[in-house]
Amino acid sequence: MAAAAAQSHPASMDARGWDEASYRRGILRARDLSSRTLFRAVFFDHSDDPDPDVLLAAASSDGSLASFSLSTCISAGSAASQVETAAVLVDPVCIVQAHSGPAYDVRFYPDPQQPLLFSCGDDGRIRGWRWHEMQSCLVPLSLQGDHLEPALDLVNPQHEGPWGARSPIPENNAIAINKQDGSILAAAGDACAYCWDVETGKCKITFKGHADYLHSVAVRESNRQVVTGSEDGTARIWDCRSGKCMQVIHPVKSKAFDSSWVSCVAIDASESWLACGTSSGISVWSLLSNECIFNLDCHAPVQDLLFDKNQILAVGAEPVLSRLTINGTVLSQIKCAPQSAFSVSMHSSGIAAVAGYGGLVDVISEVGSHLCTFGSRGLDK
Amino acid sequence: MAEPSPPPASNAGLRILLSKDRPAPSPPPTAAVSSHADRDRIIGVFRSALSRNEPPETFSLQTVQEAIKPQKETVLVLEENQSLENALRTLLQELVSSAVQSGKKIMQYGNSLDSGESNCPITRLLDIVLYLCERGHVEGGMVFQLLEDLTEMSTIKDCKDIFGYIESQQDVLGKQELFGRGKLVMLRTCNQLLRRLSKANDVVFCGRIIMFLAHFFPLSERSALNIKGVFNTSNVTKYEKDAMDGISVDFNFYKTLWSLQEHFSNPALTNTNPAKWQKFSSNLAVVLSTFEAQPLSDDDGKLNNLNEEEDAAFNIKYLTSSKLMGLELKDPSFRRHILVQCLIFFDYLKAPGKNDKEGPTGSMKEEIKSCEEHVKKLLEIIPPKGKEFLKSIEHILEREKNWVWWKRDGCLAFEKPPFEKKPGQAGGRKRKPRWRLGNKELSQLWKWAEQNPNVLTDPDRVRMPSITEYWKPLAEDMDPSAGIEEEYHHKSNRVYCWKGLRFSARQDLDGFARFSDYGIEGVVPSELLPPEVNARFSSKPAEKVKRTRREDSKGMSAQPKEQQVAATPETDGGGSGGDPEEGAAPMDSDNGGVEDSQKRSPGEVSGPESGQCEPEADADDNVKTETTSTARLELRR
Repeated sequence: MAAAAAQSHPASMDARGWDEASYRRGILRARDLSSRTLFRAVFFDHSDDPDPDVLLAAASSDGSLASFSLSTCISAGSAASQVETAAVLVDPVCIVQAHSGPAYDVRFYPDPQQPLLFSCGDDGRIRGWRWHEMQSCLVPLSLQGDHLEPALDLVNPQHEGPWGARSPIPENNAIAINKQDGSILAAAGDACAYCWDVETGKCKITFKGHADYLHSVAVRESNRQVVTGSEDGTARIWDCRSGKCMQVIHPVKSKAFDSSWVSCVAIDASESWLACGTSSGISVWSLLSNECIFNLDCHAPVQDLLFDKNQILAVGAEPVLSRLTINGTVLSQIKCAPQSAFSVSMHSSGIAAVAGYGGLVDVISEVGSHLCTFGSRGLDK
Repeated sequence: MAEPSPPPASNAGLRILLSKDRPAPSPPPTAAVSSHADRDRIIGVFRSALSRNEPPETFSLQTVQEAIKPQKETVLVLEENQSLENALRTLLQELVSSAVQSGKKIMQYGNSLDSGESNCPITRLLDIVLYLCERGHVEGGMVFQLLEDLTEMSTIKDCKDIFGYIESQQDVLGKQELFGRGKLVMLRTCNQLLRRLSKANDVVFCGRIIMFLAHFFPLSERSALNIKGVFNTSNVTKYEKDAMDGISVDFNFYKTLWSLQEHFSNPALTNTNPAKWQKFSSNLAVVLSTFEAQPLSDDDGKLNNLNEEEDAAFNIKYLTSSKLMGLELKDPSFRRHILVQCLIFFDYLKAPGKNDKEGPTGSMKEEIKSCEEHVKKLLEIIPPKGKEFLKSIEHILEREKNWVWWKRDGCLAFEKPPFEKKPGQAGGRKRKPRWRLGNKELSQLWKWAEQNPNVLTDPDRVRMPSITEYWKPLAEDMDPSAGIEEEYHHKSNRVYCWKGLRFSARQDLDGFARFSDYGIEGVVPSELLPPEVNARFSSKPAEKVKRTRREDSKGMSAQPKEQQVAATPETDGGGSGGDPEEGAAPMDSDNGGVEDSQKRSPGEVSGPESGQCEPEADADDNVKTETTSTARLELRR
């Protein structure tokens, strides 16, 4: 804050040119920066050529969607590490104002010709962005923000009440891509999951049945199934063709608290295991035999998890990235920068990115060392 | 000795036989000493001796005597030794060359496969010479000379066997007389060997040689010492400085990891330069946190099958390719190496400098300590057997520390010089007088009685008072007419009572026995008391007890008789212990007993003090309560 104030007034002792508005702006910006949260950071991991530069897309709580180049981040990090230990702010390659509220999720749609980046947010929209445009952007950073037009714009339907009253547009908390039939699945705030067709932009199926809003969604393509996790403490398996609920899973067995939820669901590559992150821990189920493999209690609520071959990576409301075996034994716990981590994603080379509170991304190498830690510069308005 | 030594007669016979077989008849002994013919003759003698299947001590001396025929003195003179040595060296050379030609290992040459025992001529020759040297029959350095020749003639593989022989004869070779003659030759031999060996591939053999040298030379031998503590700064660990393309390797971490080696190779720089230390400690923190974040399981260790044939897979330098880093970080032994390096490094940093000004500063010391704890914690969790590993490392470092101190103190010899009595010193310093009873005062006290014999008959001497005299004050207090208040009553004076009880126990056992029935006042001799007081204590205690018990049997549980009986001796025992606290216990019990009885029967006005003022009719009750309470107290104790 002091730095921001000093910047606007080089001769800081001279009070005549006091610009209160800019001072206020500086403070607000600093506060905004420190409380910004990255809800999702994903690697772009679909290019065939072993491009040395890995790109990363992140959805931020200020509604912006940014892409980062990892090599830039690493060089910036190593340059700064001599000076200070705090995470450095890195300029994104491209940044757009994707949503009017916070952007909650971002996923790649791996079209070989034109990969798309889908984002969803608090405004109930799903927007698709052309990744090529975000990958290499010639517009100077200061002019970015509204320079890109979404290729696709989908809005959640409103529910109609009596006398034609319409409900507010429910937010989208998570999206998942179904490559097989070219659709996007959205976990929405009205306790429904929607299946959108990318080609037509129409809502194909609505999965209705949860008692509370949805946190997450995952696709089991081989069986044409969708798994959702909800605030009501259950995960449900749906059939994609009929839209019917096939199974209700209660990962939280002991109802110690009434308010238990399923914050994230993940399916492994063989699509035979399901991992649910809940308010109290991790629960892994076999989809083939429909039985619980293990329940692991964690100190903090789990906020994201994924399968890395036969291991599970999980993050939660503590600054730790845990690696577990499929049997539930903790292999390692690596400290990471965000105090509360909202997403973990994995590159095929074995590096993992953890994003979360403070607008921080911590990139952790295969061996457990920190490749780089950076904060993202947001859109400054 | 396992095999019985042959009788001398047959021995002599054999020798005769051998001398008959001799291919070339020996030249006349009067010829010049150093002629080829003479050498060949000696060789012949030894050759024949080698084939004898007996322990060397039985025939070695004869062989020498035979070889050096006109022995001038009992001990060989210089030129005789010289010619013998020459001959033996030639013989050894011939033996080795024939062994090489036969294509066998030289130390196994001549061994027959079926008979297990060794009859290798080279070993035999060495045995014989060693025996001769040990006994002083020939010059002591000869065996060392032969060993040097042998190692120089042999391949590395054979040298291993030869060294095995050396190691097996270490005790003999290390004997004072032999060691003095041969230490330089031995050192040269070993150093030559070390020079020939590869540091990377023959680590075990190198270690054997070094260990042998360490045992062979005295503990405080400082010739091998790095007196100045110079570091081998040429031992540079090279690693890649430029990042490869791609992010498959965390290059920053790679550089951080290997940059530690620079500090390890020259710790002195880090010690004196705080900036370097800061860099090191921050780098180390990164490495340690990475190690900590990825704990190894037992499986990781098992994956590394190379452990089995460690001999082959051992590397003295790290492989630093960045591609290997991922694998290395999963390797428990790699981690151990790095962590042990850290511990050694810390040990160096903590070691005191030549002067006290050197060495780490306060804050640095703290950091070192915390780092060290962290490293130890990590070492402990590395499977397999992390705890044991750490323990042995700590032990080794502890020993190392002792050596550091030894070096710092100037490499003193470990042998204590024999104690010499210096006459000047002994005379100058007065012998400290010894007191028979520990110190001067006690001894004087002891002697005092001897010096003053009439003190026993001294009329003014303090003696033990008679009990009548002693109890008088209490008796006076007990007279109700005196009206003594409780506070000043003699019975509340615990020391007085205790002393009195002791006197009574010695002089008036009857009176003392009354203590268990009547308390302290019962002990007072009756003739001292006024009649009305006396009456209360006059009845026979035994009857009272019986009556009491009969009365009590309904109301409360009967007191076992033993306790009553036991009470008296116990009190006595306590008194004779001489401990005032212990002796005072009966008094306590008396008072406590009163309270106890009052608690038990609140309606009853009891207790000795109130009892005094009561009419006689109450005495029975009084007695009863007192009795029981005392008995109970005995029980309680």
